[in-house]
Amino acid sequence: MDYVILSVTLLAIGIIGLVTKHDLIKMLIAIEMMTAAATMNFVVFGSLMENSLGQPFLILALSVDACITAVALSLAIAIYKKLNIRDIRDLSESQAEETEKNQQKAKEDA
Amino acid sequence: MLFETILAIGMIVSAVFAIYLKETIASVLSLSTLMLLIALLYFNLNAPLAAIFQLALGAGTAAIFLLAGDSLTTKRDETTSLKTKFLAVVASAVLCVPMLVGTVETGSVIESMEISLSQTIWDLRAIDVLAQGIVVLTAAIGVILLLHEERRRK
Repeated sequence: MDYVILSVTLLAIGIIGLVTKHDLIKMLIAIEMMTAAATMNFVVFGSLMENSLGQPFLILALSVDACITAVALSLAIAIYKKLNIRDIRDLSESQAEETEKNQQKAKEDA
Repeated sequence: MLFETILAIGMIVSAVFAIYLKETIASVLSLSTLMLLIALLYFNLNAPLAAIFQLALGAGTAAIFLLAGDSLTTKRDETTSLKTKFLAVVASAVLCVPMLVGTVETGSVIESMEISLSQTIWDLRAIDVLAQGIVVLTAAIGVILLLHEERRRK
């Protein structure tokens, strides 16, 4: 139960970070933390049941987690290169401006 | 017990630092420290392979990815409103409290199963390993396509 409390605490810190931070890299750090907290349970419960069944699950989960980080980071870099934006609020503002421009253009065409 | 308590306190402190430090490099270093402490916990729980994977992927690869991302971009100062902070605390409480309340009592369901690690990976979870290979390849192709598209545009 102690390990579950530790895992939940780390998960809570990750969720708070994900919601309060707007920097894309900081959000990725929060996501990494959340996945680490969640996958910790595999090993903890496997160890409590005195078998090594938790370890393969952790290995699978960690590999997929690394893939997620790589893809998310390359998306962040692509966004930065295209729009020069690293803050997620600027991204939504930029999207809103673009939508507005498109709507105005459509009206002018009509 | 003392060692585990120290590890737990260190994990929580480094997690808080990872989120709230202003410099991204310091945050990444704190995250690596957290992963290192988790790996030590796995060693302590007699799961050496998991610990090595956690060190290699969690502390190593993820840190390199994040530092590379940080060096390729520049950030601006950010401020968070009180409403957002309150919303974050509520969201984390709503998501985490059911986990604590609904956690199974592991003490009553302990059943020892004598299965080796390699047997588990290659016999029991062989399809998972295959699917994971596909996932890794797909991710690699996705990253290459994303970065290649950007270069072509330039």
